[in-house]
Amino acid sequence: MKARATVLLLATFAAGTLPSYAQIAGNRPVRRVEIDVGGGVLGGAELGSVDANLRANAQARQPLRLFTADSRFARAPVLRVRAGFALTRRFAVEGGLMFGRPEIRTSITADSEGAPSLTGVERVDQYVVDASLVMVLDGLRVGARMVPFVAGGGGYLRQLHEGQTVIEQGQVYHAGGGVKYWLLARDRGLVRATGLRGDAGVQVMRGGISFEDRPRPHVAISGSVFVGF
Amino acid sequence: MRSVAFALAVVAILPQPAHAYLHFTTSRAGQSLVLKWQRAPVRWFAKDRGISGVSASDFQAAMARAFATWQAVPTASISFEFAGFTGSEPFDDDGVSVLGFQDHPEMERVLGATGFLIDTVTGDILESDIFFNAAMPWSTAAAGDTTRFDLESVALHEVGHLLGLAHSALGETEMRPEGGRRVLGSASVMFPIAFGRGITHDRELQPDDIAGVSDLYPDGDFRRETGTVRGRVLRNGSGVQGAHVVAFHPGTGGLIAGFTLNRDGEFHIAGLPPGPHVIRVEPLDDADPDSFFSRRDPIEVNFQVTFHERLFVAPAGGEGERLTVTVRPK
Repeated sequence: MKARATVLLLATFAAGTLPSYAQIAGNRPVRRVEIDVGGGVLGGAELGSVDANLRANAQARQPLRLFTADSRFARAPVLRVRAGFALTRRFAVEGGLMFGRPEIRTSITADSEGAPSLTGVERVDQYVVDASLVMVLDGLRVGARMVPFVAGGGGYLRQLHEGQTVIEQGQVYHAGGGVKYWLLARDRGLVRATGLRGDAGVQVMRGGISFEDRPRPHVAISGSVFVGF
Repeated sequence: MRSVAFALAVVAILPQPAHAYLHFTTSRAGQSLVLKWQRAPVRWFAKDRGISGVSASDFQAAMARAFATWQAVPTASISFEFAGFTGSEPFDDDGVSVLGFQDHPEMERVLGATGFLIDTVTGDILESDIFFNAAMPWSTAAAGDTTRFDLESVALHEVGHLLGLAHSALGETEMRPEGGRRVLGSASVMFPIAFGRGITHDRELQPDDIAGVSDLYPDGDFRRETGTVRGRVLRNGSGVQGAHVVAFHPGTGGLIAGFTLNRDGEFHIAGLPPGPHVIRVEPLDDADPDSFFSRRDPIEVNFQVTFHERLFVAPAGGEGERLTVTVRPK
């Protein structure tokens, strides 16, 4: 009897104060649209180390190095906007836009005529339009408000320079995960939910401004505010 | 003209260079006219006598391969036609372009040279002859001959002149104890000093050669698909004339170069692949300046090799931001 009373008390408490969070974590509504706006940091990535070579005056083909150029995309802040749609209680699809202005930094060293080493810098506008599949990990939720998820997908990379006079295109594949923390959830009204979201993952870019024909992994972390309708 | 060990003066009708990679020009009423062929195919004759080790037919075949290499540049529109063997000599002003050996033992460092007959009003090339110095040992062996100079490699250089290209300075040299220069390496067939005997690397055009011929004879997409860098080289606030400006594209590894061509230190280099480039400015100290510029236009070599502090991003079909590179005295 004593034990039954305790269970009832807990149930009453939960129902009385956090009904919506229980719904979010365990019985998430489907066919709901969620808008997500935030920012973060896109990590740097190597673009490659290349020697500027002459052809050496030798029988065998061999290079004569003039200098070395070691290039990388620097870490840069990004803005991102996403729209999601819950397909089921566990799965959702998202489409998003990420914008950043990373610098390309090229370190020039080992000049054959002794020119001082230098790092040349140029900035590009970078857009990523992507789509993701999101899987909610209900089994790993923390309390009633916080739910982890994993996500993966791919998209389109567009890099612009100087008033769009140079346009480079490529592909982006991403994988990662994060958590969502609900601040508000309810079953009626235009705004049904609001909360915070944190993401971490890897964005693998291919193409665009690239000095080597290989994918470039960028670590990406971001935080955002979401609103559900 | 290409020398064994050092550069001699460029072809006599070259009064001054006009553009990047140096195109041959002439001057009329204060205006610079670029020398180029207006009619294609360019017809050429081969001299009907060979030399020891290189028959007339071997010679013709090597020349044909050199012409075919230039004709195969996808971004340029120029064609050639072998018109037959002839008993005429190169440098007869007879209206036909003749290529052949001539014995010039007194020109002990000259492998070959190119001459022109031009219309001084329009800049049209009417005739261009090439001689190869029979006093030198030559080879047409497919793999080269370590005791002889590769005829096809030198032919590719001289045919570049025949097209209207002057010398490129994309190379590094060292002084020889006995005088003259030895090339350490180059990134252009149009570099004025040849590789050593038996070396066949210059049978292939390099990005600088391709940009140069494409700028002179552009094919449909060349202007749309490549970009141009313009700018100035300054020292103590004044323009530097004769500075060698090199654009390096890390994505392709290609080097394309030009010069500052006036006292304001202005340069422009066309034919750059789109994307970021490293810009390097160096004094013209790896060959005789007479190989590039008229003696009437003294050039400045007293400055340090300098990289532009920013990357230059070449747009497709246009010009990027104008650059100013400030160099310091040595």
